[in-house]
Amino acid sequence: MSCSIKNAVQRRFVINCWIGAALVVVLSAATALAVRVAHLHGPLVYPVAVLPALPIIWVLFETGRYLAEEKDEFVRNILVQCLLGGIGGTLALTTVWGNLEHFAGVPRLDPILVYAIFWFFAALTYPVVYRRYR
Amino acid sequence: MEDRMLFILMPLVLAVFVLAVWGFGYHHLHPTGIVACLLAILVALPNVALIVIFGFYLSEEKDEFQRNLLVQSLLWAIGATLTLITFWGVLVTFEVVQSRSLVWVFPLFCLFMAIAKFMVRLRYR
Repeated sequence: MSCSIKNAVQRRFVINCWIGAALVVVLSAATALAVRVAHLHGPLVYPVAVLPALPIIWVLFETGRYLAEEKDEFVRNILVQCLLGGIGGTLALTTVWGNLEHFAGVPRLDPILVYAIFWFFAALTYPVVYRRYR
Repeated sequence: MEDRMLFILMPLVLAVFVLAVWGFGYHHLHPTGIVACLLAILVALPNVALIVIFGFYLSEEKDEFQRNLLVQSLLWAIGATLTLITFWGVLVTFEVVQSRSLVWVFPLFCLFMAIAKFMVRLRYR
């Protein structure tokens, strides 16, 4: 997918996003393995638990860098709207689910899923925003 | 237009949040089934409206500098919220801390947004 992108800044951003997503998976698995194998417990888990969150910070840093370097205002605007769609959908879902936990007794949603939910809604917003400008 | 809508929506968001915490959090109300789902959606609606207004404001703002400040704040807020939630999620998975309701994600995002906006403005002063 990234090979078809001619814009170098865009290509780097897409590649970095995929690397970031892969790193989240790898570091989550590595963290789980480390905790299970080394039998970590209590405060020792805290520094290890930071690991899966690091690629998230990196991807969002890359998003900021891409937005600063992208010359095409239209493309930049579409990405910002997708991010808004992502966070809007995430906040709506977490609020609805949180309230359902309180008064309908639905099972607790794993907080780790929130990052994936954010990108799911961001991706879902893209065709809607794109179609609007066609 | 957005300012006026925000003026109405911000107190509404706060009122709805307090009502949800007081009413549902402490089980003074016991809705079930469809009513519970509808109430949960109702509680989330002002939050969605707030984000939609934010989007309208961004698309209508002519001053690129102001728009840039908001986008930077938004990015920092998203980053901080997702990082903290993921960190919390890992701790919950390893049973170091107890799972908390996801209702707190929205207030957390608003808090980070306010801090980020202040910091970004401070940077450009």
